[in-house]
Amino acid sequence: MIECQGLTRRYGDFTALKPLDLTVARGEMFGFLGPNGAGKTTTIRMLMGILVPSGGRALISGLDCQTQRAEVQRHVGYLPDNPMFYDFLRGREILQFVAEMHGLPRSEAAERTARMLAEFGLADVVDEFAVNYSMGMKKKLGLACALIHDPDVLILDEPINGLDPRAAREVQDRLTQAAASGKTIFMSTHLLDMAERVCTRVGIVHRGELVTTGTLAELRERVVPGGSLEEVFLRVTDEEVAPEAATT
Amino acid sequence: MSPPGFEGAAPLGVSTALLIKLRLRRLHNQMRAASQRKKKKDNDPKKAGEQATARRTGNPGKQGSNVVLYVFMPMMLFVFGSITRNAVFNLHETLDPGHFWRTVEFAAPFVVGLAFLLLVMWLSSLLLTIASGELAKPDWDLEWLVTLPIRAHTLLWARILERSVVNPTGFMALAPACTIIAWYSGHRWMAPVLGLMAAWPLLLLAALFRTLLDTGLRLRMSAAQLRNLHAVISVLAIVGMYLAMSLGMAGKATFMLGIAATMPDWLRWTPMGLAVLALNERDGLHACFLWAALAALTYAIVWLGIQWLHHQLRHGVVSGGGRDTARGAAAVAAPGSVPAVVPDAAPNYWSRIGAVQRRELTLLSRDRNFLVQCLVIPLLIVGGQLLLGSSGVATTMWHEPNVLASVAFGLAAYSLSMSAFQTLNTEGHALWLLYTFPRPIEAVLKDKAKLWSVLTLAYPLAMFCAGLFLMPQVGWKFATAAVTAFLGIPIYSFIAVALGVFGSNPLEQQQNQKVKPEYVYLYMGLAGLYIYAIVTPNVFQRIVFMVLSLLLAFALWQKARDRLPYLLDADVAPPARVSTSDGLIAAMVFFVVQGIVVAIGGLSGATILVAFSIAGAFTYSMMRYVYARARTEGVPRIVGERPQPLIGVIMGLAAAALGVVYLFLVRDTPLMDEAQRANNAYSQLGLWVLPLALIAAPIFEEFIFRGLIFGGLQRSFGLWPAALASAAVFACLHPPISMLPVFGLGLATAIAYARTGSLLAPMLAHATYNACVIGAQLLFK
Repeated sequence: MIECQGLTRRYGDFTALKPLDLTVARGEMFGFLGPNGAGKTTTIRMLMGILVPSGGRALISGLDCQTQRAEVQRHVGYLPDNPMFYDFLRGREILQFVAEMHGLPRSEAAERTARMLAEFGLADVVDEFAVNYSMGMKKKLGLACALIHDPDVLILDEPINGLDPRAAREVQDRLTQAAASGKTIFMSTHLLDMAERVCTRVGIVHRGELVTTGTLAELRERVVPGGSLEEVFLRVTDEEVAPEAATT
Repeated sequence: MSPPGFEGAAPLGVSTALLIKLRLRRLHNQMRAASQRKKKKDNDPKKAGEQATARRTGNPGKQGSNVVLYVFMPMMLFVFGSITRNAVFNLHETLDPGHFWRTVEFAAPFVVGLAFLLLVMWLSSLLLTIASGELAKPDWDLEWLVTLPIRAHTLLWARILERSVVNPTGFMALAPACTIIAWYSGHRWMAPVLGLMAAWPLLLLAALFRTLLDTGLRLRMSAAQLRNLHAVISVLAIVGMYLAMSLGMAGKATFMLGIAATMPDWLRWTPMGLAVLALNERDGLHACFLWAALAALTYAIVWLGIQWLHHQLRHGVVSGGGRDTARGAAAVAAPGSVPAVVPDAAPNYWSRIGAVQRRELTLLSRDRNFLVQCLVIPLLIVGGQLLLGSSGVATTMWHEPNVLASVAFGLAAYSLSMSAFQTLNTEGHALWLLYTFPRPIEAVLKDKAKLWSVLTLAYPLAMFCAGLFLMPQVGWKFATAAVTAFLGIPIYSFIAVALGVFGSNPLEQQQNQKVKPEYVYLYMGLAGLYIYAIVTPNVFQRIVFMVLSLLLAFALWQKARDRLPYLLDADVAPPARVSTSDGLIAAMVFFVVQGIVVAIGGLSGATILVAFSIAGAFTYSMMRYVYARARTEGVPRIVGERPQPLIGVIMGLAAAALGVVYLFLVRDTPLMDEAQRANNAYSQLGLWVLPLALIAAPIFEEFIFRGLIFGGLQRSFGLWPAALASAAVFACLHPPISMLPVFGLGLATAIAYARTGSLLAPMLAHATYNACVIGAQLLFK
């Protein structure tokens, strides 16, 4: 479903992402882990066509993310790590705008908007300007924007970051529900306990390079037998050990 | 145990100095970053064999900001200096006529008048500075600075001191004025120094009031009130600016001079008056006393202001809930039962408007600041220009349809520069949302361009309706002027959006860095060129220019489309390349300059030839300069890899043969009269014909039409369509008699350029053609 073929990104002499080869199958919930600055957000932005790859390409459903961006977005829902919305527009209006831009007719857009806002628990703040929302409410609104057109693929950048425990649990449940209904979810996070609970496969990036990837069981076996994901992560992203030595 | 040295707050002097140093260092870094990108580009062409995508070529646009600083600052200083000089003279004539006044002590009413002048300049610069900033949001660094262990007192003093130094508008308004006053008081070489010394206390006061407004008031008023206040201040700032400028204009100053005459005497004891007195005083002891009085008064006022501010901020610098809220409106509208579903019974025409356009209209209605900026300010600025301008346009407007149409178009173009040009800036940080939609961003921008062209049509429509009533006769001329103006607006709306893609910085925090000035100037320049199309009496030229503008809109749009994938990718934009749009702009400039020269010099053959050369030289040097500055790639070279001059000569002879045949055929038709005029031209110019026709014209014209236009088109469309199009454009810019042979020449030179890849062959072809044609015409005589 999601394929990265040698995806690279350079900023002058600095390589933010070394050639990345990755495949996420349909229905998988893939966790993209890594320390800060490892290149997670860069990868996601290249998947969304926001950044232009310096080399290689990214494909979603067989379509190139950069050259066929508009077509790709039909199937993709995106949540950035710090969603910012328009000034002077209410949450309800923004969600309706997003629904209409995805091609839904007006009445259906309005009905879906009302339903999603109720589901996400935002019903009492819909009439407030979106820029006044707290971080949690903004993320919920962003997630609603990502789900409103019922996409096949969800690309989420740090979805739980900044949420209180209840909201975090609600979002996790939604994501699991979505995965169960056949959606593919590509999620970047540095919250390991959630990743452990929810993801079917994980990949760990460190300094722009995909160091290891596989299911949780495989990783544990390979890196730290009997250990938790946290131990695996710390071992793999150890600063003093060369990245290659951490994998087999 | 408390950490050593941390007794509490850092001493006032040290913290103030540190804060000011911090601001200045930031400013310095900003300017260095802009010039460092330039230096980086120096090395790039030398590196061979490196992938273009791996190179961080930097943002070419950012370099330009230094040009603005170094070229426009002296110009503006000069302009302000002359305005204030005239104002001083005007004031003297009104308030103290007949007496000798230079280098002696000024008479009391005159001092009051000068104090009034300084007051007006001070006030208008203060309003302008506030209007151009953000009133509703706190300064980006204040929230952070208050967490440092410095007292609020120190912070405020440092802020005011720093704002008094870094205030370009205030500096422009006050420093030249004070210098002029010092000069006419008799201080010769000391005048600039004394002027600065007098201006600085006034700048301190301006900084104080500005801080009072944006830090103090912000805590008292709600965000909605602040935005309204900001809108009102924007309007007042423009009005104030024009009133201040009117003092310096002969004949327009009566209103302000009247007010100056009624000013009370105690104005002399305000800081402005004290500044005038201090500058005017020649006697050393008295002068010291006056300077000391000025310093003391300023200090007292600033001290009082800071006390008040301190009092205001005693509960914290940033109050909560300072954002616009929609709750108030909702509660008033329908308490408790706000429908979450938009009723389906919306009027039909509303549904024709796309989602993007509806959102834009909603924003316009809610953001009053935006509304004022787009629709009210242009009216004020153009109105002010009309009233203050010396050419009496305000009265001829209602007699001459062309003038009315130019003013209407100018107004619309200015309004577009605030709205359509800024389409990306209105997206701001929410630009990422556009990337999540299954619509190409280009389509969204097109929607916006359409919306703005419809909205901006309102002004010309209103003006032309008024014109229908007020004009003595409404006929064909009126209709053509109206049509030209109306057709120009959608074209320029698209041009504005396309240029806005390059010229705006949606992710930028600071208000005044959101737009790159050189793109605004380019847009204004192009709009100005279109005004030429409106006023020209020649229908043919009018049509040609409109078509050129349309082509330019397409070309620019194409260039913008290439740039769209890089909108959020600021560091890796593709390097500037020569494109068709550059060629079209060059052709438009060429056309206009030529038209202007002919209009000045008359329609003889000699003038036409000279006009071509002047226009060509001007356009050529301008394009070369711009390309050199922007380090554009793909600039057409004169001598390339395979010069092959022989091809040029052959093609030139072929085209010339065609031309001679054409001349022969056309010999007995009325078109020959024009050819006769050309003959007279040659005899008038004598030997000058040779260098003009054989060297100047080929070089300039080939660069523009083959190098830029044909080269750009060839990249997108292939050889033959590009050759035909560029030859057509080339032919249209020549007098009607020579259009057909010139078209042939255009084709021939295009082939020569395509074959050889450099400009030498086309230039030779052109020169050969000219030589043959001139020779043939001389023979035919």
